[in-house]
Amino acid sequence: MIQSIDYAAIAPPLILAITAGLVLLVDLLLPKSAGISRRTAVSVPALAGVIAALVAVVLLALGEDRSTFCVPEGLRVEGLASCSYVADNLSLVFAGVVLAAAVVVILLSMGERGVPQGEWYFLLLCALTGAVTLPASRDLITLVVALELLSLPVFALTALKRHDGKAGEAALKLFLVSVVSTAITLFGISLIYGVTGGVHLDWIAAALPTDRNVVVFAGGSPEAAAIAERILGVVDLGLVMVLAGFIFKIAVVPFHFWAPDVYQGAPIPVAALLSVISKAAGFAAVFLVLTKAFAGLAHLWAPLVAVLAALTMTVGNLLALRQRHAVRLLAWSSVAQSGYILAPLGVAGERELSTVVAASTAYILIYAAMNIGAFSIVTLVARARPRDHLDDYRGLYGTNPVAALAMAFFLVCLAGLPPGLAGLFAKVVVFREVVVGDLGWLAVVMAVNTVIGLYYYMAWAARLFAPAEPGVSRTRLVSAPVGVAVAVAVVITGVFSFAPQLALSVLN
Amino acid sequence: MDGYFGSYAVVAVLIVIGVVIYVGALTINRLLSPIRPSAEKLLTYECGVDPVGEGWAQTQVRYYVFTYLYVVFAVDAVFLFPWATVFADPGFGLTTLVEMFVFLGFIALGILYAWRKGVLSWT
Repeated sequence: MIQSIDYAAIAPPLILAITAGLVLLVDLLLPKSAGISRRTAVSVPALAGVIAALVAVVLLALGEDRSTFCVPEGLRVEGLASCSYVADNLSLVFAGVVLAAAVVVILLSMGERGVPQGEWYFLLLCALTGAVTLPASRDLITLVVALELLSLPVFALTALKRHDGKAGEAALKLFLVSVVSTAITLFGISLIYGVTGGVHLDWIAAALPTDRNVVVFAGGSPEAAAIAERILGVVDLGLVMVLAGFIFKIAVVPFHFWAPDVYQGAPIPVAALLSVISKAAGFAAVFLVLTKAFAGLAHLWAPLVAVLAALTMTVGNLLALRQRHAVRLLAWSSVAQSGYILAPLGVAGERELSTVVAASTAYILIYAAMNIGAFSIVTLVARARPRDHLDDYRGLYGTNPVAALAMAFFLVCLAGLPPGLAGLFAKVVVFREVVVGDLGWLAVVMAVNTVIGLYYYMAWAARLFAPAEPGVSRTRLVSAPVGVAVAVAVVITGVFSFAPQLALSVLN
Repeated sequence: MDGYFGSYAVVAVLIVIGVVIYVGALTINRLLSPIRPSAEKLLTYECGVDPVGEGWAQTQVRYYVFTYLYVVFAVDAVFLFPWATVFADPGFGLTTLVEMFVFLGFIALGILYAWRKGVLSWT
């Protein structure tokens, strides 16, 4: 039985994959005597491909929901469509975030020195293909394959600066952590498959022995009831293992230790990719598994997620306090932000799943815009001052007033203070979910954490306007692509500040 | 010897028997055989020929690239075999044929890359 494929639905990842192939071909076959530099010859098509994929996502969002790779009519059980790839609102929103951030990452990497250009953009586009496929996946196998397609190129991207010891170490750490987490996920998936007999998320949701089914079993015989009890235990274990594997990738405590070293060792555009694109896609995977497949077990995973969220934001913020290295600080801050993103899921037992996911998604949208903006400015400054210390930002307002103001805006947004209204609205949405869901202790932890966060974001922002240290070069930092990247991030964050309903109602 | 964990007892017994046979054979050999060492006899045994060089040998690091290339082809064979058994069946047809060549095209890109980067020449 052959499946029919809806090529319109899979257009975004398809465009990215074909562009990746083209970029590699151009890099391989470009003669030395061609009039253009290799850098331009590969980076411009890569940027065009990402923009084309973004256009495809927008067009898909305007039309009907599409799905493809479904189980053929004749083989369906209980009428479940069991599609492996669905281009619905949720997946298109995440694809949009990923691709918009990708435009900025490509602009940032245009000035990257000392890396092989063709490989750089090829790997970047491969990772993006995975990141766009991931939120659209609706079965566990596609989910894992997409997650690996996102992860594998990033190891190589991290290590592409070949003679940099820190980059090599970072790549090795990322590789080991990622492989271990994938192994744990796969083990969990095998347990879930063993109990439910399927890998499609809708099939798992239908086949799960929920409490209702246990009662039905118990009506039969004592043995049947005992078996049902045991099976529930196996599903719980499988769920926890799958969750553990996925939260490794989004650096949630207790699986966060890799983040600072890897962010610091990797080239800055790759750190931005890990902190925004990889994180958004990882969260999409967590949302899909928890809400599409295991909605029936919300009473089990919601308290667990609430505790993880509280731990994540606290550990991330406390460790960020001590950082003096710009990228390291952003790494810990992005660990802390993961905690805020997870927090609404902690009340999933009390609230409707769709509102909970909408709150988290809104936070991710705003977080992506402001965080990628901060990374753009860090890229600009790190090129002139490779030490990348917070004190290197002293006097930035004197030499680059625009860059300093933009950085101050992003930092204020990350802290969640006016005039950075985007960050404030994001926090309010998350707070509202937690408070309405009657999780008072989590709301208190979040409030305390927001105050801790204020300190280090403000300490950094204050440095921008402090007088420069003597001896620091006072040259103006200029780079056209980075300037465009900063402008894109400022505009998007600004739009979210003035019209937050764009982010907040995106899933409705 | 009954129950779920009882079945593991058989495995444990087998392991014990294996160890006893192995240790026993070596011990009897040690007790019975005459030991009269000479320089010749203490040489590493290498099919009867005198060994050349050290036991610590290095392998050319460049072989790893060929291993990679081999894996590329070994993996696509995994997909080719099941495809080859069904692609001519009713309901499949031209689309199936084209799809496989698209897949092979992507794989071939890897070979093209290796060739252009000079991996295939040994110097």
